[in-house]
Amino acid sequence: MDIAVLVKEVPDLEARVQVVQDGGALDVENKRVLNFFDEIAVAAALQLKEAGGGGRVYAVGAGSGLEAVRRAIAMGADAGFLVDDPAVDGADPLTVARALAAVVRAEGFDLVLAGRQATDDEAGLVGPMVAELLGVPCVVGVTAAEPADGGLVVGREVDGASERLSVPVPAVLTAEKGWVEPRVPQVMGLMKAMKAEIGRRTLADLGVEPVPPLAAAGYHGPRSRPAVRMVEGEPAEAAGELVRILRDEARVL
Amino acid sequence: MAIWVICEEHGDGLRRTTQELAAQARRVAEDGEPVVALAVGACVGRAGWLDGRVHRVVKVAGGGLVPFSADPWVAAVAAVLAEAEPRLVLWGEGTRAREVMPRVAARLGWPAVANALALEAADGGARVLRPVLGGKAYQWVSLGGAPALVAFRPNSFDPEVAADLDTRVEERSAEPCEDRVRVLERTAGDGGRVPLTEAQVVVAGGRGLKDAANLALLEDLADALGGAVGVSRAVVDAGWADHAIQVGKSGKTVSPALYVVAGVSGAVHHTMGMDTAKVVVAINTDPNAPIFKYADYGVVGDALQVLPALAAAVRALGT
Ligand SMILES: Cc1cc2nc3c(=O)[nH]c(=O)nc-3n(C[C@H](O)[C@H](O)[C@H](O)COP(=O)(O)OP(=O)(O)OC[C@H]3O[C@@H](n4cnc5c(N)ncnc54)[C@H](O)[C@@H]3O)c2cc1C
Ligand SMILES: Nc1ncnc2c1ncn2[C@@H]1O[C@H](COP(=O)(O)O)[C@@H](O)[C@H]1O
Repeated sequence: MDIAVLVKEVPDLEARVQVVQDGGALDVENKRVLNFFDEIAVAAALQLKEAGGGGRVYAVGAGSGLEAVRRAIAMGADAGFLVDDPAVDGADPLTVARALAAVVRAEGFDLVLAGRQATDDEAGLVGPMVAELLGVPCVVGVTAAEPADGGLVVGREVDGASERLSVPVPAVLTAEKGWVEPRVPQVMGLMKAMKAEIGRRTLADLGVEPVPPLAAAGYHGPRSRPAVRMVEGEPAEAAGELVRILRDEARVL
Repeated sequence: MAIWVICEEHGDGLRRTTQELAAQARRVAEDGEPVVALAVGACVGRAGWLDGRVHRVVKVAGGGLVPFSADPWVAAVAAVLAEAEPRLVLWGEGTRAREVMPRVAARLGWPAVANALALEAADGGARVLRPVLGGKAYQWVSLGGAPALVAFRPNSFDPEVAADLDTRVEERSAEPCEDRVRVLERTAGDGGRVPLTEAQVVVAGGRGLKDAANLALLEDLADALGGAVGVSRAVVDAGWADHAIQVGKSGKTVSPALYVVAGVSGAVHHTMGMDTAKVVVAINTDPNAPIFKYADYGVVGDALQVLPALAAAVRALGT
């Protein structure tokens, strides 16, 4: 089974973020990592490859994602591709999805894995968009999968219920936490990743016209809460006072 | 042009988020611009609340739409929207929006925004607010005049709206469509409680609760408040609770009116899942716990004592 994993490079969540130019722009510390959920997807692809008896696992990134692609190779992916085009950075998710779908279609696939969402935009748009563009079914938030009868049996938790689904391949799955615990790459993997030839494509190579992205119209920082108001006293006393405040002042009860 | 709202059912009515979206659509609609609700599948028989509150309800029934199934929904929603002329299509965040909205967007070639928190009328269209980088900043996005799909977090808007319109109802049937994915097994979750992401009140606990058995204290307070229970990742990792109720970066994002959080230190991975809660009450034995920076009200004390005392005080209020 050939498995394509869509890997996005995102700012580390510890990276400093500052609103600058009077809300006109965002200054983000240059600390970048492979998206948390995509790491799970890479690890899941490797596990499925073993369970399914071979095939290829390859990583595809779009935009400034070279390190993410290398990271996936260091984790064990066989090859990597990058849509390397200035028009992809800050592009609309649909442009990104069209580019990724075009690479995957050209390389051949039985299964595409994406993350449940990227930690920078928390959108979860690109995976299902790719599925639609490839004309294959999509299951989001997957926490288990194994090969069965030429397809897959997939597990997931949705709204407090758990599901087992029969999914024909080709298909797109998005990876949720709890599927596989990603392992830190070994030295051998890191060496292989450094030397790996990354296949580069431009939007023109792929025949993808970018769609105009929606315009950013300003940023602001997180709402700063007023300093916390401490409620004193023994538990019963504090609880009584708190409930009074929540009812009469905060008006949430 | 029109503003469309994609309905979802809950119990024998509509999901509260659907009501919020319909109400907000009315507030931001331009003069004479209609608000249209799209009721698909199980919503068809539950759309009573919309009567008088939107200009038009389009009901779509058909095979494969009940229970919810992604392929038939994508086909039905895309078919209706393709021949409509929406300026905006509003969805409630959740599994269904996550499965359907991006695929409809890809099929129609329309832009989509997920995880939005606010919608305002603006020059030449509308703008929506969304968190970026785990809530470290918020970005306004201009939608312009072309059709766009936007999914909003629950509890983003006030659901109150006057029922003063003459609502026109249109009934359609969808082309038959079978899902390529087959359900082998589905175990019902805890049906009674409000879903975590939807709840107006969330009572959350962390490792400071000491033992799995003490999660019952969260449930008891949540019951007293009519809310849902959430936990930190440390609690999930310890095997005390299921990942489905984890709040934070690798769990759920919640925006309740009230978030009570006990025995949670306040790591950024946790707070990014709750920072849009309107009022936050933190209970922690450590007066310097970071969670107090994200709280409006704080109690320094033992969660095992304060939680039951709070439940008792809330119940006393009701009697
Ligand atoms: C990639 C990544 C993703 C993550 N995703 C998430 C996520 O989605 N959600 C999440 O929550 N975390 C997440 N984490 C973990 C996060 O960083 C913290 O480790 C976690 O939130 C800590 O859980 P906690 O506050 O329950 O436990 P602790 O940090 O151990 O805090 C326990 C707190 O309880 C207090 N306490 C002790 N006894 C009592 C008592 N009797 N009464 C009251 N208070 C008491 C202590 O003072 C302390 O503040 C993630 C981490 C990483 C690296
Ligand atoms: N630029 C990108 N390159 C590769 N994969 C991406 C890119 N953007 C999004 N994805 C994939 O789509 C998933 C969801 O991303 P998002 O829609 O941004 O939340 C990610 O977890 C990735 O698997």
